Amino acid sequence: MTSNKQTLAQQRKMETETGGRQLRMTVYASLMAALTAAGAYMAIPIGPVPIVLQNLFIYLAGLLLGWRWGLASVGVYILAGAFGLPVFAGGLGGIGRIVGPTGGYLIGFLPAVFLIGWISAKRKGNVVYDVVAMIIGTAVIYAMGVSWLKILTGMTWGKTLAVGMLPFLIGDALKIAAAVPISKALRPIVNKTKEA
Amino acid sequence: MAGLTALGYISGSGRLHRWDPRFKIVALIMVSLASLGTSLPVLSGACLLMLMVVIRAGVPPGALMRDLKPVVLLLLFIFLARALVTPGEQLFVLGPWPVTREGVIAGAAICSRLLLVLLAGVAVMASTRLSEIKAAVEWFLKPIPGVPEKRVGTMLSLIVRFLPHILDQARETGEAQRARGIENRKNPFYRVIRFSIPVLRRTFLTADQLALAMEARCYADDRTDAELVSDRSDWILMGTTVLLCLCLLMF
Amino acid sequence: MSFIEIRNLCHRFPDGTLGIDGIDLSIEKGEFVVIAGKNGSGKTTLLRHLNGLLTPSNGEVILDGMSVGQDPRRARRIVGMVFQDADSQIVGETVYEDAAFGPENLKLDREAIRQRVVNALAVVALERLSEQRPHILSGGEKRRLAIAGVLAMEPEVVVFDEPFSNLDYDGIRQVLTQMLTLHKVGKTLLVTTHDLEKVITHADRLVILFEGEVVRNGAPADLLEETENFGVRQPCAARLGGEVPSWLD
Repeated sequence: MTSNKQTLAQQRKMETETGGRQLRMTVYASLMAALTAAGAYMAIPIGPVPIVLQNLFIYLAGLLLGWRWGLASVGVYILAGAFGLPVFAGGLGGIGRIVGPTGGYLIGFLPAVFLIGWISAKRKGNVVYDVVAMIIGTAVIYAMGVSWLKILTGMTWGKTLAVGMLPFLIGDALKIAAAVPISKALRPIVNKTKEA
Repeated sequence: MAGLTALGYISGSGRLHRWDPRFKIVALIMVSLASLGTSLPVLSGACLLMLMVVIRAGVPPGALMRDLKPVVLLLLFIFLARALVTPGEQLFVLGPWPVTREGVIAGAAICSRLLLVLLAGVAVMASTRLSEIKAAVEWFLKPIPGVPEKRVGTMLSLIVRFLPHILDQARETGEAQRARGIENRKNPFYRVIRFSIPVLRRTFLTADQLALAMEARCYADDRTDAELVSDRSDWILMGTTVLLCLCLLMF
Repeated sequence: MSFIEIRNLCHRFPDGTLGIDGIDLSIEKGEFVVIAGKNGSGKTTLLRHLNGLLTPSNGEVILDGMSVGQDPRRARRIVGMVFQDADSQIVGETVYEDAAFGPENLKLDREAIRQRVVNALAVVALERLSEQRPHILSGGEKRRLAIAGVLAMEPEVVVFDEPFSNLDYDGIRQVLTQMLTLHKVGKTLLVTTHDLEKVITHADRLVILFEGEVVRNGAPADLLEETENFGVRQPCAARLGGEVPSWLD
């Protein structure tokens, strides 16, 4: 009787702890989604083209939250935008933005965050894996973004790449490089939840 | 912050505002689909009609113009690209490129299609509270197995809750760093890191606190359902929308 | 047995430091207890065991005859917690929706939720702001909203963690007024602070924590002379040998 009661108590305790961990990851995933939204408005003014931080937060969602919660974060971000919450750059949301000219990039965030989370988890904390994961993720974002832009405009591949990818590559390289120390600084905060 | 809410909810009590949010979302999707299968003259008529709906919903035309501007520029770009690259009967020459009749028509069709979907989105946004959108999303996700619909709803509220906080933190961090002369550092790598780490650290600590507070208030995925009611006039409005969409498809 | 029984409660953090060390404390129903101590003395750690946000390394907390660890959700319904940072405990998009968050988690029906929220907002005098976005409220209003969010769950015990931090004079008086109202209707109140001046006149009992242990426990008037030995500032009036006046007069 007593031992039965004890196992029940133990079970309750464990349920509460998993519940707490799940809740914390849910809140973190929402925070990353909000950061992705805010990232469209955050720019470091350097030179003629300011560096917009949005895809930095996509990288970080994958690196910090892992593929499952990263996917949840980006998925809810796109869902929020599709239903008209003001989360897309320029303030205008709605389905129009997803089928609009920049929609391919937005949808590309989904496979990108999955790949970044999945590849970087193969070797935890290994910088090479992290960087490769982000390069592949970036490639996927452009593959989808540029293809959709080409379908809408009917331009040649060469021209579409020239307006839809080449101007941003230097900024992307910089953000990939920056994501490495940033994720290193933030991982202790996030991981105490994932593992503790 | 102002830029974020420019075309948000506008309080009102018109028919569109009182329409059950579930119907509004279905209607939005139907209009988007119908726009794919119709011709240019009908599309431009539909755009005008939708513009009237948006203005009737209480959106000030000035704010609408301002917020649509960046999008209209993108649309213009698509229009030009289409007009220039589509082969066909030449209308006139723009610099070194010939502009074709077929190109102008194709470009105008694509742009009015996107504009229609955008305007429909604006109409829904302006007439629907966040809590209603959340309730409708939860309702639509409920039958899908494996999707915890209440948690998705909670995440939607949390995003909106975090946004102003993040922008405040970003502004404060930016000001504090300018006060200490960050602008003298030309290295962009250094500046991205110096900006992001404090903003992320602070917002993650807030998130920690929030998760604790939610736990203390008994957070559970199994929560009270949101309130949604629909009556006959909701269905009548839906029927009208279906008819209009069919008209779009016929011509 | 008392309403809240804390028995030999110890908490060691994952990094090995000892947060609280062997605390024994009994609190009766309807008491107004102030827990004082300097930063790091273990006040917040102690509070978070009352509703199972932290699990003890040793010992237990018994709430109305049942251990907190056995059913943390029950404990969270009995003990409502107002956190130190009011800003970071607001969940809803409007004042009304934030106050409704707790009752929704209890899966009450809509009508019951509406009644509880209306009552709770009336108690803290925020009913006129119920459609506002919480982000634009003043510091005192945010703290009152946090209190309303807790009251809507109809707890027996309300716990305040450093309720006066970051508030201006008016905000402090608003929160203090709320506390006295709750005390009057029979709620048990636990308030932690490192600044006794603002609240001690109204309390039934003072508990002083020092390095994770209870070092003093008794009537406020008897203990005020000793507080500075434990890093807690003695209220001015007490230093001069008088009675500490209320901040509400």
